[in-house]
Order: sequence, then C-alpha cells, then structure tokens
Amino acid sequence: MTTFFDAWHFDGQSAVRRKVEIQTIGKQFYLLEKEMRHGPFHFEDLRFLEAKGDDKIYGLAVKDGWRLGVKGHVPDELVPLLPASKTYGGLIDRLGLGKASLIFAGISAAVVAVVLLSPQWLAPLIPTSVEAKLGNALVGDFGGRFCDTAQGKAALAKLTRSLDDKPQDLQVEVANIDMLNAVALPGGKVLLFQGLLSQAKSPDEVAGVLAHEIGHVRERHVMQGLLRQMGLAVVLGGFDGSGGSTLNSLLSTTYTRDSEREADEHSLKALKQANVSPVGTADFFNRLASMDGSKELKDRQARTMASYTSSHPLSDERRKLFENAVVKGGAYKPSLTADEWRELKTMCAQDKDVKSGWGFDIE
Amino acid sequence: MTEHQGKAPSAVTFHGSWTDFAKIALPNVLLTLVTLGVYRFWATTRERQYLWSQTRFIDEPLEWTGRGIELFIGFIMVFFLLGLPLVVMQLVINGLVFQGQPIIAGVIIFVMFAVIFYLTGLAYFRALRYRLSRTYWRGIRGGSDDQGFGYGWSYIWKNVAAAIPLFLLYPWASMSLWNERWSKMSFGPYQFESNADWKALMKRYLLFYLVPFLVFVGIFAIGVSTLGAQRGGDPFSTAGGIFGFVAIMIAILSLYIVMPIAALLYYSKFMRVAIGALRLGDLEFDFTARSPDWILFWLANLAILMIAYGFAFAPFSLLIAADPTQFAQQLEAGESILSVGLVLGILIAIIPIAFATSIIRYRSWKFFVVHTEAFGEVNLDRMTQSETQSSSHGEGLLDAFDVGAI
Repeated sequence: MTTFFDAWHFDGQSAVRRKVEIQTIGKQFYLLEKEMRHGPFHFEDLRFLEAKGDDKIYGLAVKDGWRLGVKGHVPDELVPLLPASKTYGGLIDRLGLGKASLIFAGISAAVVAVVLLSPQWLAPLIPTSVEAKLGNALVGDFGGRFCDTAQGKAALAKLTRSLDDKPQDLQVEVANIDMLNAVALPGGKVLLFQGLLSQAKSPDEVAGVLAHEIGHVRERHVMQGLLRQMGLAVVLGGFDGSGGSTLNSLLSTTYTRDSEREADEHSLKALKQANVSPVGTADFFNRLASMDGSKELKDRQARTMASYTSSHPLSDERRKLFENAVVKGGAYKPSLTADEWRELKTMCAQDKDVKSGWGFDIE
Repeated sequence: MTEHQGKAPSAVTFHGSWTDFAKIALPNVLLTLVTLGVYRFWATTRERQYLWSQTRFIDEPLEWTGRGIELFIGFIMVFFLLGLPLVVMQLVINGLVFQGQPIIAGVIIFVMFAVIFYLTGLAYFRALRYRLSRTYWRGIRGGSDDQGFGYGWSYIWKNVAAAIPLFLLYPWASMSLWNERWSKMSFGPYQFESNADWKALMKRYLLFYLVPFLVFVGIFAIGVSTLGAQRGGDPFSTAGGIFGFVAIMIAILSLYIVMPIAALLYYSKFMRVAIGALRLGDLEFDFTARSPDWILFWLANLAILMIAYGFAFAPFSLLIAADPTQFAQQLEAGESILSVGLVLGILIAIIPIAFATSIIRYRSWKFFVVHTEAFGEVNLDRMTQSETQSSSHGEGLLDAFDVGAI
C-alpha cells in the first residue's frame, strides 16, 4: 500500500528545510523531495516530539536532528503508523492529570509518614556499639574539656545512679564550657556544661536536668532525631527554595517538642523514684523563662504561636509542669550532700589539666 | 541558499503568551507539589519546550530536546557525589572541632571550599554546554567538545586574582570567563567567538563599588548634623532622634533599592558588551536592553513576587484574624490535627509562590529574547550538524549550586 502525504523535513545533516511527501510501504516509509528520495525509514523509529499549532513534529530515534513535520489533517491510514501524541509524558498521560496527581499525593504522604514514624522503630535496631562509635566520632574526649576530679566524679556518679537503674550504659561528663545547657548525644553520652552547674542553686536542679537528658537517652530520641532529620532532608530535598526547609523544620520541631515532653516526664518519674524534689528543676526553668522571654508572653495567642515554632516547649510551661509535680509536705531528700555538691560544682575549677572554652573564637 | 537579514525586523523574535504558558506552569506546580518536588525536572523541561518553541530565529522556531530524566539523573549524581560527602564532612568537621583539632578542621574546610569553588565554575560551563546541545534550530544543534575541566581552574584563579586588589578586577574576571566559556561552544559547524573588552565595564563597576561608601558617608553626615542639633534630652523624642530614624530608613532603602539598582546598571552594561562581542560564523549579536529596561523588569518581578507572597500568607492571617482565641485554643487542644493543617497550609502557600517564579522565568526568557538581535547571514547549506559529543545527564551541578547558564 502506498500513501502520499505532504510534510516538511529536516534531515539532521543540514539546516535546509525540505518539502516532502511521505510514501509509506508497509512499516517503512520514504520521504520524496523534488528529485530526491530519502529513506527508507521505519515507523517504529519515529518519536513524537511536540504538537505546535497544526503541526505534529516527529524525530527519528536513530538520527540526531532528523525531523518530520506533518501539517493539518492526517490521512486515516497513516494515523495508526505514527506514534501517539504526548502532553506530560508516558505515565501521567495514561492516567490523566487528576488521577496521576492523586496517586502521587498518596505516595508522597505515605513516604513522609514512613520517614516521620519509622525512626521510632528503626532507632532501637541500631546496635549500641554503632551508636557509641558515632558518639565518639562526634565528640571524643571533647578536646580535653571534660572536668575530672575523684570527688567530683564520685558525686556525679552518685547523682546518675540515683536517677537511673543502669548507670553503666551512660557516660555523664561535665564539659568546661560556660553555657547554660546540657545535651544527650548518641551512645548514651550526656554532657552537662559548666555554666549550668555554676548557675544552679542546688543539686536538685542539676538532678532534674540530668534526668531529662537521661530521658532522651532511654527513649532513644537522639538516634530517632538524627534519622528523622536525615530522612526529611532527603525526602523534601526535591523542593527548591525555602518551602522544603520550612516544612522540614515544622515537621521535625513537632517531634522534638514531643521528645522534650517525653524527656520531661521521664525526668519527673526519675526524680520521684529518687525522692528528689522537682522544685529545683522548676527554679531552673523559671530562670530560663525570664531569659527566653516566655514569662512575659501574656497574650495567649502569642504564647501558642511561640510554642509552635520553637523546638522546645516554653520554659514557663515546663516550670509549671515541675511545680505542679511537687507533693506538698513530701519527704524529699536532697540529691547530694552539701560536700558532694560543692565538689561537683567546683570540679572544673579544681581540675588543673582541663582545657576551657571552645579552643577557637566562639566563647 | 542564502537568507539575508537586514537590521529590521529583528532576527530573534518571541511569539509566546503568558496565558498559554500558565497552562503549562499550573499543572507543573500541581505535579511538583504532589511529588514533593521530584517532578520539577520534568516541569523545567516542559517550560523550556514551550519557551524555545515560541522563539524564532529568522524564520524557524528553536526546539528544546532536553528531557526531564536527564536533569533528574544529574540531580541524583550530584546528591550522591557531592551532597552526601558534604554532609559526612560536616559531621567529621564537627567531630574534629569538639575533639580540639581546629587546625585540621580548618584545612578540611578550606579544601572543601576550594572543591566547591572549582565545581561551581565547572557547573557554569557544563550548563551552557548542556543547554546548547539540547537546543535545535532547523534540526541542527550546538554543543562543545570541551568537558570544562580546564574552565573550572580558570574560574578559580581568575576570581582569586580579581579579589586580590580588593575585588576591583571583578569585571575583568567575569568578562574573560565569559569569553573563555563561549569560545569553547559551537553551533552546527561554527565555533562561537567572543572577545568582549572588560574595560568598558569599569565606570559602571566603580559606581556599584562606591555606592556603599557613598551611602555610609551620607548617613555619617546626617548623623553628625543630628548630633549638632541635639542638645541633651531623650534621643528618641527630640528632633535629633527623628533624624536618626530617617538616617536608618535611608540606610535600609539604599540597601534594598539603591544597591540592586547599581548592580542592575552594571549588569545591563555587562550583557550589552558581552553579547555584542559574540560571533557565530558570519552572525553577529547584539543585546539592546538598557538600564531602564532592566530596572522596570526587576521591579515588575518584585511586584509579582510580592503579590504571590500576599496570596500565600493570606489564608494564615485570615485563620488567625477571624477568631484568634479559638485558633489558639484549637492549637493547644488538637495538636496533631493542627500540625497536619499547618503543613497543608504551607504546601498550599507554595502554589502561588511557585507559580510566580514560573512566570518570572517566562518573563526572563522573553526579556532576553526580545532584546537579542542578530545580524549577518546564515548559509543553510553550510549549516551542518554539530559533531560535538552530547552528555546524557543534565545540569545537575548547576541545579545544585542554583546558578543560571548565562
């Protein structure tokens, strides 16, 4: 069967536009120019490129720059031989835009859900040895900034023992850095910064904070957080600009806030078990609250918005939590003796070898 | 067969309309959103297909043959070859700093910086090469046989050399890099030639360079007169306080308005000189946009973005403004449900912003095409197919560093 049909053609070798007729012979075709015949070409090598106005433009898989443009109405016998038009590309064209969008949205939601929820189950599967190695790689001996005196360490060990049943898995250190903070790191490492100790009015304050950090270790928050952050960074990495990072921080701070609450609850439980008063910890948050300004946030709306965007619950809320846990007339005992507390507080000052500060210009 | 091209009408014309473009941009935004951004490589491709096909050189449209999958593979390559190692190095550096090895950490940071600097130069080169190799006109494409590895080094040393005399040689560096980059590109059988002269840029550059100093001097002068006018009393209630406030306003305005305009004045000159010096066979090019055109173009883009941000944040402010206490109560009570709501809100807020940036890309292309002129003649018989290699992956590096091709 032979059909002739008008078309235009670039042969991919020169820029000359050729007016041609398509001569089909079975599954092959020739392009006939005035005194030339191009081909044969195979219909199966044709690729649909674009539709522009009346024109449909095809390329040839085997020849760079080869173009065939077909104008207007295509004869019926040619239609089944030409490749189908595309708008979005294979999958979406087949499903339709609406259906494809719904399916993609479903898959995306599932992926995000897995990334958010799976760390809870994945984190405990990571062997403790791996976690310990990671902790060491991250911090090591903190550049010799861990304070060490026999009495100070003994006091710290006593405090840890009273707050946790398995103190041997924990490595609690005081770092000689003047910061009002404490961190839990992979591998059961807990760092209390010297600034926290210097400003603390009583050992009970330190006990509450330490129990909070131990809570992070016991609930495996550290690895969970790391895994979740990494997962979100990968999954939302497709967005450019600030959209992805805004979503990332919103999603992950929701989780860190929840983790902080869990750690606070763990801390309260541990204090109760050790028979230590939560008043000290409430004092600590009271001081933090006047520092971060949450005490002054009178307006309810401002409070909730602030709580929504920060990684920790508001210090003022946490003060109330610990204050409310105080049992009136409870038979609390101090977490350390006066001597032990003094030794712990002055451990960094007594340690002659310890390095101080950051070792570089961030103080 | 030879086609002559006079001075008018323009040899490079644009025939698109933004309403047609919106029919591509809106589904793109939707699909990008539901795929968490993965679709954006295919979205870019569809945008370019439209923009190229609506751009005519002499009598025939351009054609974009790049594919989404190429850009996607480029992105994945960069993610594994560069992104992941960078994250790991970040952890290593943190560890080194904590372990009291700031010197080793510093050396690693320096090396990383140098590597990224080199790759940025490489990315500029390869993006241009990729775009030319995917641009067809009458079935003929462009490209380059150079891989751009040498250009990466030039990019480092020329920028460093320009920085040594307090960045005064920046015009030389950028122009000589432009010349170097384009001279390695070709279209069909013809090599591009570019020998633009950087010295023509110096006046505009000095203007840009001096603006911060002028602003500083101006504010200083106002400050001195303020001090003179002020004789004790509360600084914020006296006339002096008001002058101080005015000085701060001027400083902010100059930072956000005067500096960008000074930069546009320079950039406008740069594009005119650079494109004006470009040749391809018997073709010469010209770029006709002058500073006022650039400033209008920039202001309109700014307005579009601001409107988009307005739309993006309107739902949030309405939600809060309608009933603040109820909103606060809900936030306190049903935490997880509102988290979902907030996340959905941000996803929806992305729509107008993503659409606006698409429209800005459309406007940028149109601006570029409308102001580009070509003179000379094209011999269609001699315009034969490019024999350059074409790479199978897209602008991964460029995408990662977020820079444009030209």
